[in-house]
Amino acid sequence: MLVSLSWRNVWRNPTRSMVVVVAVALGLWGGVTAMALINGWVKQRIADSIQNEISHIQIHNPDFLLNEEVDKTFNFDSVAATLESTEGIVGFSGRLKVFAMAQTDRANSGLVVLGVRPGSERSISGIPNKLILGSFLEGDFNTPSIVLGKKAAEELKLVTYELTDSIIQKFSAKEPKLSMEIQKLSGKRYKSRSDFIKALKWVLEPTLFNQYSEPIADSCISFRLNGPVVLTFQTSSGELHSEMFRVRGIYRTSNTAFDARMAYVNFENIASAVNIQPGHVHEIAILCKGNTEAVNIAEVLSAAHKNLSVRSWNEISPEIALYAAFGDFMGMIYVVIILFALAFGIINTMMMSVLERYREFGMLMAIGMNRSRVFSMIMMESVFLTLTGGVAGILLSTGFIRIFARTGIDFGMWAEGFEAIGYSSVVYPEITISNYLLITFLVIATGILASLWPARRALKLNPMQALRVE
Amino acid sequence: MAIIEVVNVDKIYNDSEVKVTALSNINLKVEKGEFTAIVGPSGSGKTTLLNLLGGLDTPTNGKIRVGDVWLNELKGSKLIDFRLRNIGFVFQSYNLIPVLTAGENVELIMQLQGVPAKLRKQVAADMLGKVGLADRINSRPAKLSGGQQQRVAVARALASKPQFILADEPTANLDGKAAENLLQIMEQLNQTEGVTFIFSTHDQRVVSRARRVIQLEDGKIKSDFLQ
Repeated sequence: MLVSLSWRNVWRNPTRSMVVVVAVALGLWGGVTAMALINGWVKQRIADSIQNEISHIQIHNPDFLLNEEVDKTFNFDSVAATLESTEGIVGFSGRLKVFAMAQTDRANSGLVVLGVRPGSERSISGIPNKLILGSFLEGDFNTPSIVLGKKAAEELKLVTYELTDSIIQKFSAKEPKLSMEIQKLSGKRYKSRSDFIKALKWVLEPTLFNQYSEPIADSCISFRLNGPVVLTFQTSSGELHSEMFRVRGIYRTSNTAFDARMAYVNFENIASAVNIQPGHVHEIAILCKGNTEAVNIAEVLSAAHKNLSVRSWNEISPEIALYAAFGDFMGMIYVVIILFALAFGIINTMMMSVLERYREFGMLMAIGMNRSRVFSMIMMESVFLTLTGGVAGILLSTGFIRIFARTGIDFGMWAEGFEAIGYSSVVYPEITISNYLLITFLVIATGILASLWPARRALKLNPMQALRVE
Repeated sequence: MAIIEVVNVDKIYNDSEVKVTALSNINLKVEKGEFTAIVGPSGSGKTTLLNLLGGLDTPTNGKIRVGDVWLNELKGSKLIDFRLRNIGFVFQSYNLIPVLTAGENVELIMQLQGVPAKLRKQVAADMLGKVGLADRINSRPAKLSGGQQQRVAVARALASKPQFILADEPTANLDGKAAENLLQIMEQLNQTEGVTFIFSTHDQRVVSRARRVIQLEDGKIKSDFLQ
């Protein structure tokens, strides 16, 4: 009955209790949503990083990792046999990795060039699916092919932005107001996306700019597909070697820095140019069924190939393993700060409730309710009050998160900034059961902590004096 | 043996700069089954004496025995537990819990005593029946008149099966009819069930029904007689 009494006491003054419940619900909605956004970003960053950049496991000749010298290779076939028979591996790809200076007729830039076999690479990397133009090293050409990141293509001045009449017509059909404004940019060419976006900002109203600048920019990209790029790199004998490639594909990931750095060419083209021993590679990249399995598989492979360096994703890129832990921690900090602020509102409500019922507490203590029961009753009231708001907040945020987990939340306005640090501008919020359990624990703890002061006031009362209170 | 024995009790309040003697040299015994009124003008010490008998306050000098326990030997939770199991209280302003029904108000004290739920419900219905409120068991205090609320308070005090019930001005907030009704019930419980009632009052109707009247004046017993 004490539980039932506490619950009913919460609703003695429904308006006052509802104010606290709504405050807790809205506070938690904000906190949980922030946590879900951080989770979504972190998870997406880890997934992108593994899929597009580092894969789950990388195997190298240990000497290669010291200075990444081109002659530090290892035999691919000896490892491939083990990989074929290992459970939990989705695919693997042997790669050559050289550092090259890329030159076009207008600019030059340093690149990391991966020599890959397109079929194998498709089984482990998301890059072939990130092409915004051309193809991924398929096709038979006289001149070797290269696939560049969009940022690298921009730096090498292999891209222009031009607003053609057909694009103007397309967007005018969607939004007639755009027609006059973007017409001013018709026929002008811009060498970078940022210059083009700046020009759009100049001519468009803020609301139109926010809605249409990114889609217009995407439509106006014009790449110099098949444009020549000369790569200069060191051969295994230490000589410098230059060779011309033609751009057959442009990819774009959510990590601008990666796009600026990594280029893909056919394995054979680079192997012959650098003079690599037949059957040898610099790196084997492996994709596994899951992140946790990958760590276990790396240990197994490491034991099987003691002369090679076998590293799992959390060793290759410790910062992304840190993101996961840090993301949880940050989300929790948000929730703790919000609950801490709300605790003062709960204390105020509970204090008013206790002071109003001073005589009642006096009566209860007079007839024989001991102090621990009085304390428990006040604590339960505070926990019920907080938990009601907590449940409402969790339901509210769950609904919100479920909707946006499907559609994503587009922070397109800050896309350039997000991509510069490796994050996608579209985030899919996500919350886990363990997050919910932790939040529930924090809500209950807040309720208990917020009850301590009011309960102390009640416990200090003298029943005889309290019974005289009018 | 008397169920209450008060020996040389003084109560002096030193809280303010002025020393106030609320009770002085009180000696009395109360036997089981008594229907006793403590009367006297305001400030004569009636409520102070009732508080001392109920273990809600401690005497400055002297001692009080309830049953075979000297109250001055009990402290803290032991004293609270003693009150729970031995003393029933009826307060001037009913003091029912507004969010509980009449039945639940009566049950609450039994729950504090650890009585099983099924038995609690049975006893609560029984006690409310004794005070004529069997049909209001599911009503909340706000739906009851003042007289009915005070009868629920009597049922609550009875439910704990105390050695005696202390009632501080139980009719002070009731109209004539309700006061008469309550007194009839208390008298009947005293006569048929042997429940010991000690009540403070300055209501002449209550005094006239009491079998023993202890009159206080300036903190001293002026008279103590049976009628």
